[in-house]
Amino acid sequence: MAAQRQPQGRIRINQETVVIAISVVLFLVFSIFLNKFLSQGNIIALLKNVAILGTLAVGMGFVVVGRGIDLTMVAVMVVGVAFSIWLSTQGVSFTFAIVVGGLLVALLGLFTGILVAIAEIPPIFATLAIASAVYGAGRILFSSDVLYAPSNIQWLTFIGSGTIFGIPMSVMVFAAVAFVMSLFLKKTRFGRLVYASGDNPAAARNSGLPTRPVIITQYVVSALIAFIAGIIMTGLVTGINTRLYNSTLIYDVLLVVVLGGIGLSGGQGGVRNVIVGTILVGILINGMTILNFSYTSQNLIKSVILLGALAIDAVINPRDEQTSQSGDI
Amino acid sequence: MKTMKKLLLAAIAAVSLVQAPHMAQAADVEQIGRSAYLEAMTGKKVIFVPLSQGMDLNQAWVTVWQRHAARYGFTLEVRDPNMNTDAGIRALQGAIEEKPDLLIVQNPDVQTYARMLKQAQSAGIKVLQVNMQSATQTDSYVGNDWIEMGRLEAGELARTCMAPGAPSKKIVWLAGVQTGAANIFMRTGIDQIIAENPGLELVSDQPADYDSEKARQITETVLQQHPDLCGIMGIWDNAEVGAGAAVLAAGKQDQVTIVTNGAGADTGCESIKKGLLDVIYNFNAPIQGEIAAQQISELLQHPEREAGAEKTMFFGPITRVDKDNATGRNCWKIDDFK
Repeated sequence: MAAQRQPQGRIRINQETVVIAISVVLFLVFSIFLNKFLSQGNIIALLKNVAILGTLAVGMGFVVVGRGIDLTMVAVMVVGVAFSIWLSTQGVSFTFAIVVGGLLVALLGLFTGILVAIAEIPPIFATLAIASAVYGAGRILFSSDVLYAPSNIQWLTFIGSGTIFGIPMSVMVFAAVAFVMSLFLKKTRFGRLVYASGDNPAAARNSGLPTRPVIITQYVVSALIAFIAGIIMTGLVTGINTRLYNSTLIYDVLLVVVLGGIGLSGGQGGVRNVIVGTILVGILINGMTILNFSYTSQNLIKSVILLGALAIDAVINPRDEQTSQSGDI
Repeated sequence: MKTMKKLLLAAIAAVSLVQAPHMAQAADVEQIGRSAYLEAMTGKKVIFVPLSQGMDLNQAWVTVWQRHAARYGFTLEVRDPNMNTDAGIRALQGAIEEKPDLLIVQNPDVQTYARMLKQAQSAGIKVLQVNMQSATQTDSYVGNDWIEMGRLEAGELARTCMAPGAPSKKIVWLAGVQTGAANIFMRTGIDQIIAENPGLELVSDQPADYDSEKARQITETVLQQHPDLCGIMGIWDNAEVGAGAAVLAAGKQDQVTIVTNGAGADTGCESIKKGLLDVIYNFNAPIQGEIAAQQISELLQHPEREAGAEKTMFFGPITRVDKDNATGRNCWKIDDFK
């Protein structure tokens, strides 16, 4: 919102522009020095490889804008889909099992939302605990880490390997989720409520806005988006690996959100920031995989570049009393 | 009716009397060494610290061992750290404190547990390592010959990709975790085969972290760089299905050969049938479990031998499984052993 108040014709350098600049530089460098980086196939592969990360980040961004954080997303994603697959092995049709899984996931989101909004447990602790509980429950229910979906589900195969106008369905689903979320945040009254309650929750509540239902809805939506990401993954690799809960995926998601310029203090940024962050991570991972960098050095370079982006922003836009907000982490 | 019943009872009594001397005679015949064996097993305590019980191989081992334990009266406790090394170290520390008769360990890598295994041995606890070795050699190791596994997989690709008419001589190694014992040893075997086959080119070696989606992403990117790729080697069938998905999505299933290894679970055979994998070097986890069960019995039967006094190795069987023999024993389900 701050950007809209800037005088016309002057580019305001903020974190988003820094990240875009780094992305452009990396893109150019890779295009010049890496053979076939700039091929249509590779660009599509690049996008396909960040579709899941990006989808999760849209959901996380939605919560962070409202000054929350949802660390349950990866747990909900893997356990929600694994539950559906497990249910389908009990004699229920897979499509119906997915609907039931979706309901379960929505209930989990509702529960998280109630804990955060009504019991007023800080979201970082509430979601951390719930993530562990959800994964633990899943670990008891399913004996194996990896669960395979039934092989003859046509719509799932289509999500995994289908294309529309040459663009993989996984990317299309990510784009659709991002587009709907962007419209929702920008064009609906509810979307503005999310910004208002994220920017200053006390003021929002004092002026009579329904902040609690807004917060609860955010967690339900982020849980459902996590479920969608899980369905994309199941389509892509025919199964779901519940051990992803133990990976750094949830931090990567958070990183994409913060990197793109959605402050953890809430009330700022939007879907565009998520896309910017996702694309930078996508370019980085793709380039480093082509360069055949080792796993450790990939993580190191990724962290250094991400830290660099945050540092540049801190230098250009130093925090002071005017720019900082209460509740800033 | 009543007389019939009485007659029947009398007949049964008569038969029992005739049988009785025979039964007494049977009780005298003792299977030689059985009572000593039973005595050695009964009441013993075995603790297993796995990587994670969520993996098919672990489930097969533990099912086999539990059956063995229930039959011969020793206890098997599984302390599952669920892939968390810190939790694993705590589980090991706890286990050493309890002084079990035997400790079974599946190592996350060669270093993490190495010192603790030494401690366990000097505390007089016998240690059996399964499938994933530590830098410390203990009483016994049962599991794969991982260098041979690397040679087998790379050899498979060398045969395919060095043959006339092969799309290229380019191959990919999708490791699991680079510090894992299995990874290090497999890489040694792979390097030997590459050295023996000049021209065979390793174009990418990225760890997929035992995750199918990561394997898919790497394969997707590598296929863009090397559209003429000939083969992919992996370390766990459940991860390499992701590589298979990327190859299928690119429509290159006839060009790229995907070879990996696995515990021999039915899911692996399904992946072969779906066309996601071409060859699995199947190390048959239930048979591995039986060999380890034999080692458990051996180690429990000789409490007089000092821990670490003898160091033995047992490599399990490895079967090459492709679409022609992805049936029967090569595709087990956990319920088959219960």
